[in-house]
Amino acid sequence: MAQDLAAAPIARSVPEIERQLAAAWAAERERRAGRTESHVLARSSVSNLVVVAGQPETAQRCAAIVGATAGRHPSRTLILGVADPDGPAGLEARVEALSIPTPSGAALTGAETVYVAARGETGRHLASIILPLLVHDLPVALWWPVDPQFHSHRADRLLALADRLIVDGSEWAGDGLDRLAALADVAGRSRLPVADFALLRQYRWREALASVYDLPDLRPHLRSVRAITVEFATVEGQPAYLANIVRPVYHVAWLASRLGMSVVTPMRSEPDGCRTAVLRQGGHAVAAEWRPASSDLGPGSTVRVEIVSRHGRDELAGVVAADERSVQVTVQDRGRERAHRIYAAPRLREVELLERAIDDRAGDRIAAEALAVAGRLLAVDVPAAGRPGAR
Amino acid sequence: MRGRDSGQREPRTMSPRRASGASEPPRTARELREARLVAHRRRRADASANPLRAGLRLDRAPDPCAFVLLGATGDLAHRKVLPAIYELWRTNLLPAEFSVVAVARRPYTDESFAAEVRASLARYSRVQPVDESVWAELARRITYHQLDFGDGPGFERLSAHLDQLDAAHGTAGNRLFYLAVQPSQVTEIVRQIGQTGMDHESRSGGWRRVVIEKPFGRDSESARHLNHEVTRVLRESQVYRIDHYLGKETVRNLLVFRFGNGIFEPVWNRSYVDHVQITVAESIGVETRGSFYEETGAARDILQNHLLQLLSLVAMEPPTSFEADALRDQKVEVLRAMAPPDPDAVRRSIVRGQYGLGWVRGTAVAGYREEPEVDPLSETETYVAGRFIIDDWRWSGVPFYLRAGKRLPERATEIAVQFKEVPLRLFRETSGDPEPNVLTMRIQPDEGILLRFAAKVPGLGLDVRTVNMDFDYGTSFVADSPDAYETLILDALLGDASLFTRADEVEAAWGIVTPMIEGWAAMPAPRFPNYPAGTWGPEEAEQLLAREGRRWRRI
Repeated sequence: MAQDLAAAPIARSVPEIERQLAAAWAAERERRAGRTESHVLARSSVSNLVVVAGQPETAQRCAAIVGATAGRHPSRTLILGVADPDGPAGLEARVEALSIPTPSGAALTGAETVYVAARGETGRHLASIILPLLVHDLPVALWWPVDPQFHSHRADRLLALADRLIVDGSEWAGDGLDRLAALADVAGRSRLPVADFALLRQYRWREALASVYDLPDLRPHLRSVRAITVEFATVEGQPAYLANIVRPVYHVAWLASRLGMSVVTPMRSEPDGCRTAVLRQGGHAVAAEWRPASSDLGPGSTVRVEIVSRHGRDELAGVVAADERSVQVTVQDRGRERAHRIYAAPRLREVELLERAIDDRAGDRIAAEALAVAGRLLAVDVPAAGRPGAR
Repeated sequence: MRGRDSGQREPRTMSPRRASGASEPPRTARELREARLVAHRRRRADASANPLRAGLRLDRAPDPCAFVLLGATGDLAHRKVLPAIYELWRTNLLPAEFSVVAVARRPYTDESFAAEVRASLARYSRVQPVDESVWAELARRITYHQLDFGDGPGFERLSAHLDQLDAAHGTAGNRLFYLAVQPSQVTEIVRQIGQTGMDHESRSGGWRRVVIEKPFGRDSESARHLNHEVTRVLRESQVYRIDHYLGKETVRNLLVFRFGNGIFEPVWNRSYVDHVQITVAESIGVETRGSFYEETGAARDILQNHLLQLLSLVAMEPPTSFEADALRDQKVEVLRAMAPPDPDAVRRSIVRGQYGLGWVRGTAVAGYREEPEVDPLSETETYVAGRFIIDDWRWSGVPFYLRAGKRLPERATEIAVQFKEVPLRLFRETSGDPEPNVLTMRIQPDEGILLRFAAKVPGLGLDVRTVNMDFDYGTSFVADSPDAYETLILDALLGDASLFTRADEVEAAWGIVTPMIEGWAAMPAPRFPNYPAGTWGPEEAEQLLAREGRRWRRI
C-alpha cells in the first residue's frame, strides 16, 4: 500500500517545488537510515507523466489512478490544473513522495507527484512549468484525460514536449467524432505515439476476434471479408447520435488497418440511426455498419461485433460479444455453429488502462494505423501511418 | 501396431555442428528431409500468419493440440505443470481446441483425477482463489488414461484415445508429450511413443513434441546414451529438454541486459574483465530429498546445468538472431571452449565440500550426514566451487569462478563481473584506494543489477569511497512475473526451443563435469564434513581465489 511520506507546505514557484522534492527524499533517506546496510537509496524512475487535468475533481481522480500505478511505473507525475484564469498570474503546488512496498516486501519503490494549480496568465504557459520539473532523459507521457483541445496554442506547446500522448476518446463530449478526427490529424502529422483508452479497452475484443481465425483453415476468410457490423449501446429514449461512438469506430478502423482495407466512402449517418461506410479489400467491397442497440451497457459501449466473410462457397460469421467479466466468441460456418467459447476477460479498469497506455510500445504501430484509418473513415486526410515516435 | 519399427533405424543424433541447423548445409538424406520439413513449416507459418494478432500478447497462438502429461499423478505434475496449464488457460493463452490427457499408473476416472487437480490448484496455483468457471472449462478438457509405462498395448490404446480427441476436440493431430517422470523411465516411454508411431509428424498436419525434465543423464556416457535412445525415435527438433531455470524472468533478462544495451559489449572481454564469479547459494539442506541427493550431489544437481547455463549466457558471443538454434549455437560454443579438467586440474581448481551441523538464520541445523535417508558416512558433496577458463578470443585468461552449495548463510544466485583495476592509481595518497568496478546481476532473490564504482567523498580532501548503484528489478517493475513453467510450456506449445537445452549442450556440459566427478572418485576419501552449516563453504574455496589475490564476493 502506498504511504504518504511527506505532505509539504504549498510551493509558489518552480524552485520551491524543486526544493520540496529534494527535501522529501532527504527525509526518506533519513527515515530509512540504518535499515539498509550497504545500498544507497536509489529512486526508481521510469518515466515522466504529465497530466493536464483542468478541473480539481479531474485532478483528484487522475491522482488516485496514478497512485495505483506507481508500483509498476515509478514516475514523476505532474498534475496540472488551472484555477482562476482571469486572476493574477501565479501557481500553487504541493509535493508528495510515495513509497510502495514491492510484492516481496523486501524493498520500497518510490514515486513523486507534484500537484500544480496555475492561475491567470501562468495557466496559459504550462509548458514553462513542466520543462524544468521533468526528470532528465526519461520519456514524457502526456495524459490529457478530458476533452483535449488539439488544435490550440496550448496543445502545440504541450504536445511538443511529449513522447507519448494518452487520451480517452470514449469520454469526449457528443459522439466524440470531431475530436477523434482532430486526434487522427495531429497524430498523423506529428507521428506522436497515441494511447487512447478507447482503443486499449478493446484489447479483449481484439484477442477474441483474432482467436476466430487462429485455426489455419479459417484464416483465408480474413482476405474475403464482406461486412463488418458493430452494434453499440444507446440510452433508451435518447437519439443514437448522442452516444459517443469512438469505440465502435475503432473496431472497424482496427480491422480495416490489419486486413489491408482502404476507405472508399467515409462514414455517413442513415435515417434509421445507423451509420455506414464502404471499404475495399483487394478487389471487393466491404460494408461497414454501426448499429445502435438497446443495452444495459453505457452509451457508446460496443455490444457486438460481427465479421462476415465469403471464401469460395463458404460463408463464415465470426461474432464477438462481451459483458463486464467475459467475452463470448461464436463462429458460424454456413449458418451452422462451428465453435463457441467464453473467455474470462474482465473489462479493464482505468488503472490497468493507464499501465498499458504507458507500457504498450508494441501496440504503438497498431494504434497508429488504426487511428489513421479512423481518420479516413471520418474524412480526414491522414497521411499513411508511419513509425510512431519517428519525429 | 501402427508405427514404424524405430529399433531398426539409425539414431538421429546430429553431429554437433549439424545440430545447430544453421551453420552447414544438410549432408544426409535424413538431414535433407528434416531441413525440407522445417522450411516447409516455416513457409506455411509465414504465409498463414494471423494479421489480427499483430500487437497482441502473442503474435501467434499455440496450435490446437493435446497435452499428454505422463507421470500425471506425481509431485512435479501437481505442483508445477498443472498449475501452469491452468494459469495459461485462465489468461486465455491456450486455444479452445485443447485437451489434457493425464497418464499414470494409478487408477483414476476422469472425474476423480480432475478432483485431485482441483485440490492441487487450491494449494499451488499462484493466483488464488481458483476461478470456478475457468476451471470448469479446463476440467472438461482433461481425461485420465491409466497406463504402465512398459505396457505396449496400453500405449496403443493411448494413441487411439488421442485420435478420438482429435475428432472430438479438434486437436488436429498435434501432441505435446510432457514427461514428468523418473529419469529412468524416459527412454522406455520414448521407445513406446516410437513403437506406436505417436512420434510421427507429417506435412498434412500434426506436430509431435516431447518435453523431458532434467537430469539429462548423470555423466557423459549416460547423457550420450539418453540422447542416443531419444534420437533413435525423435528428431532433435522434436525434443524439448526443460531446465526451469532458463524460464525465470531474470535469466531471460540477462539476454536483454547483454544484447539490448550497447554500453556493455565493448568492455565485455579479457581486456577489461578481471574475473567473473557465479554463485548459486541455498540456505536449505536436502529437506526430504536425502536419497535423491545421495545419488546426485552439487556438481550434478547445480553445476552441470544451472551454473554452466548461466556461464554460457554471460560468456556467449551475440547470436545473429533470437531464434532457438542461433542462440544455442553460441551457448554451446562457450562450453566447447572450456577444457575438461584433468586430474591435476581437479585437485588444484575444484573444491568440494559437505556441511556439518551448524546454525542457519539463528536456527541450529543438522549436518548432511544426519539428514534423513543419507548415509552416515556419505561422501556426497553438498558444495562445489571451481575455477574455469574459457579458451576463446574473448575470454582467454579470464577465470570464471563458480560455486554452489547447500546450507550456506543465505539463498542467493548472482553473477558478478569484476573489472580490472585502473591502470594508474592517481589517488594512492588518499585515505582509501578505490576498489575495482563490479557489475553484479542478481538472479534471486531481489533480482536486479548493481554497479560498484568509486566516488569522491564530499569535502576539501580527496577521499575516495566505493559506492553501489543499485537497480532493483522489483522496485522498478512492481509486477507479477509468470512462473518459469508457464513460460516454458507456452514456448514448447509454440514450438520455440530457445530456452530449452539442446543435446549437444547437455553433452558439452557433461564433458566438463564428468572428469571432475571421475577425478574425485580416484582421489582419497574427502574429509567430510568440511564446512559448518551457515558458513560460505570450506576454507579451500577461499584459498582457491586467495592464491590469485582475489576473494569471493560477500553476498
